[in-house]
Amino acid sequence: MRRPVYFLVLLLVALCVVDASLYFFSIHRRAQLRSNAHLFDVVTSGLGLTALCVSTEARYTRHPAVSDPVVPFMDHPGAVEHFPTGSFWVPPRSVAELREY
Amino acid sequence: MPGGLTKHINILDFTLASLWRRRLKNLSVLAVFAGVIFLVASFQMVTQALTETASQVLRSAPEITLQRMSAGRQVDVPEEYARKLSKVFGIRDVVPRIWGYYFDEVNGANYTVLGIEPDRMPLGEKLHISLAEGSMFNSETRGNVVLGRSVHSLLQEKGSSLLSMFRPDLSQASFRVSGIFNSDTDILTNDLIVMNIEDARDLFQIAPGRATDLCIYVVNQAEVDNIAKKISKVLPDTRVLTRSQISKTYQVVFGWRSGFASVCLLTALTAFVIFAWDKASGLSPEERREISILKILGWETADILAVRFWEGFLVSGLAFILGCTLAYVHVVFFEASMFRPVLVGWSVIYPSFQLAPKILVENFLLIFCLSVLPYLAATVIPAWRSASVPADSALSGM
Repeated sequence: MRRPVYFLVLLLVALCVVDASLYFFSIHRRAQLRSNAHLFDVVTSGLGLTALCVSTEARYTRHPAVSDPVVPFMDHPGAVEHFPTGSFWVPPRSVAELREY
Repeated sequence: MPGGLTKHINILDFTLASLWRRRLKNLSVLAVFAGVIFLVASFQMVTQALTETASQVLRSAPEITLQRMSAGRQVDVPEEYARKLSKVFGIRDVVPRIWGYYFDEVNGANYTVLGIEPDRMPLGEKLHISLAEGSMFNSETRGNVVLGRSVHSLLQEKGSSLLSMFRPDLSQASFRVSGIFNSDTDILTNDLIVMNIEDARDLFQIAPGRATDLCIYVVNQAEVDNIAKKISKVLPDTRVLTRSQISKTYQVVFGWRSGFASVCLLTALTAFVIFAWDKASGLSPEERREISILKILGWETADILAVRFWEGFLVSGLAFILGCTLAYVHVVFFEASMFRPVLVGWSVIYPSFQLAPKILVENFLLIFCLSVLPYLAATVIPAWRSASVPADSALSGM
């Protein structure tokens, strides 16, 4: 009868193979993305961009760095922040952080 | 083979057989535990990859961005401000920029409209390399736009070759598409409509000589902070944002304090507390009986503890490996599709997330310490309490 420990070793070897393949894939993928660095420099400098295009639903998640921390609540008096992306994005730690100068 | 190793392999055999006997319970525990680790690890990978992408792609953002504030809101900056800044020593160039949002009522998409003078922007002459097709307009050309890929796709769906937009007075402005951005730059340009600054003024009906903000470039990078302080003294009604502040914002914006992260962590914590409570509240009568029988058969307390240790370690270790592996697959191959509803919200336009999280040992170690180690403690401690009781008294209580 085969010992249960053999099945465990087999499972661990399979997981090791999968994880090693993912690791080498990640190295390859990151190298591929790094090769775009010059392209990013050209676009960011040439267009003067200050934000990533991740979410386009609200201005404070489309341009978090150049919009005010109060923007989520400034649509009208008593406005509440209601966009779903607002739950993923943290506001700056303090207003003072953006008022350094 | 050394005797100690043989003994442990035998104990491992016994443990695996014991786990298999209660396979339904153990596989459920494994699946729930792996699911919790998957959720936390996925969130950690997404935030780490986005933060890293932000720092990589925004390293060439304008050194200083100047915005004018009035009544707590950002308002247009007069271009005379650029002349006032000529007093500040160390500024190389001040370039006006117009940007804003355009809501397309037909498809509900929000576009970002950007008006620039390409000839005045740093590396502006190289912008053509970022285009998949067409060419970049120059500062003298009017009526041309360069579109992000999603904007172009939406335009194609409409079956139009011209981009027609409405001014605030509802008169129509039409633009010829001169180029389309490359898909590699989607993370920056996907929703962009780039046009001549004069066209942007005309579209938004912004008064001549005014801009949304000013991009300021300095001679010496080390002097950025000093120059920013001087600017805020010369122009007190402005907000001065440096590149490092923009970068800092992105370092904290995808953070553990965000509401969604709290949901992930609370779920993980609740699941773990239930596990730990279940384990720490004592062994089941069946488990106590098993321990007593093993002791009567001559097993030592240390052997029983070894069995419990291996049980806990196998379940939590396998859950950890499975959870982390699935998290990487989810983030990289499925573009974090489970988080997409909160990551993009109601956005009609969003880029494909080509995320490549860095595999950092410290991140995995953190998850390991927060999941596997407490689970081991919660498994071994009650077993030790039970195993240290004499076998006959444990059996007599059955």
